[in-house]
Amino acid sequence: METTMKAYAILGLLVLSNFAGDVSALSVTVNDVECVYEYVLYEGDTVSGNFVVVDHDIFWSSDHPGIDFIVSSPGGNVVQTMKGTSGEKFEFKAPQSGMYKFCFHNPYSTPETVSFYIHVGHIPNEHDLAKDEHLDPVNVKIAELREALESVTAEQKYLKARDARHRHTNESTHKRVIFYTIAEYILLAVASGLQVVYIRRLFSKSVAYNRV
Amino acid sequence: MKLQRFALRITLIIGLLSTIAQSIRFELESGHTKCIAEDIKSNSMTVGHYSIDNPNEGQPLPESHRITLRVTSAYGNSYHSSENVQSGQFAFQAVEAGDYMACFFAIDHQPPLKISVEFDWRSGVAAKDWSNVAKKDSVDAMEYELKKLADTITSIHEEMFYLREREREMQELNKVTNSRMAWLSVLSLFVCLSVAGMQIWHLKSFFEKKKLI
Repeated sequence: METTMKAYAILGLLVLSNFAGDVSALSVTVNDVECVYEYVLYEGDTVSGNFVVVDHDIFWSSDHPGIDFIVSSPGGNVVQTMKGTSGEKFEFKAPQSGMYKFCFHNPYSTPETVSFYIHVGHIPNEHDLAKDEHLDPVNVKIAELREALESVTAEQKYLKARDARHRHTNESTHKRVIFYTIAEYILLAVASGLQVVYIRRLFSKSVAYNRV
Repeated sequence: MKLQRFALRITLIIGLLSTIAQSIRFELESGHTKCIAEDIKSNSMTVGHYSIDNPNEGQPLPESHRITLRVTSAYGNSYHSSENVQSGQFAFQAVEAGDYMACFFAIDHQPPLKISVEFDWRSGVAAKDWSNVAKKDSVDAMEYELKKLADTITSIHEEMFYLREREREMQELNKVTNSRMAWLSVLSLFVCLSVAGMQIWHLKSFFEKKKLI
């Protein structure tokens, strides 16, 4: 198992068994910037994935303004950038092999939890077939099949993360509806009670008869 | 002595599926705790291997590099605990469903050092193909690959059921919220009117008693 990754404060993912490197959906709390490293073995591999910002309880604003997502190649070039988003899918062909850096930047001070999934898929081509006599052309088809299944799995993980966030919002809405409405009733009753008490006091004998 | 412990929560949301080896490597600072959580379904097997990554190849790991691991379920029951080890493994049948947390802790050192920990945690489908199948011949290897794909498909199917169930639950919740919002708004109108009515009635009787009206 070759894994070479350096994780900073969070996670490093990983890898490999035969052809593809994969990381299961992880979520990370982004305070300022969090980077995840993934090793891409072959040049030309398709790196695909998705990420979803799982909202914490936002009180006033309708949604978190979004986080920035930047992918850098081992050479230092920026391969992909997404700004101000709360969940996206991405896919790109790796221009070179090596350690790719996937960074999440949080421009605001509230920490956000990001759930992400990155998959590095490799399909052996004729060049690999010629090199390794163990590789059958059937293996190429199996690899393609595996990649297709991986894309289905990736989509499921994305849907699951989005569903979790949606559910969170809905439960929060439900709680807020009940709580704030009951609180409104109680407050209304208390305010009118206070009104009555105040008016009674104004007219009570002890204050001063009819001074109002 | 600065003792800052912050637990960085890393939640691993892994669906039923995990076909390919996935080990996580992360850096653990001395004196800090890092937690990885995984959502495991009930009655599924889960196995984990953890070890400290040796930065110097060929030389033994220094004795001071030791970590403590505690695996607890969502309800707080501890399933595995090991103190001050350099590597180890655990395996158990997850009876309770939910988020299982594996928390790593390294004792404070002076000067503070960063330990690179490699952690491989699999559950469900992936826990089955733990042993490396030697490629005896290409047909066997292909059969193995195809079996893995079949397992993948099964777990995709189950995941679809799960998502469908969740969507149904959410739709129920939304319907309930919708109807409650309607009723509560109508009720608030009645509450308002009745409170105002009570105020007026009370003050009227109060002033009549005071012979002001």
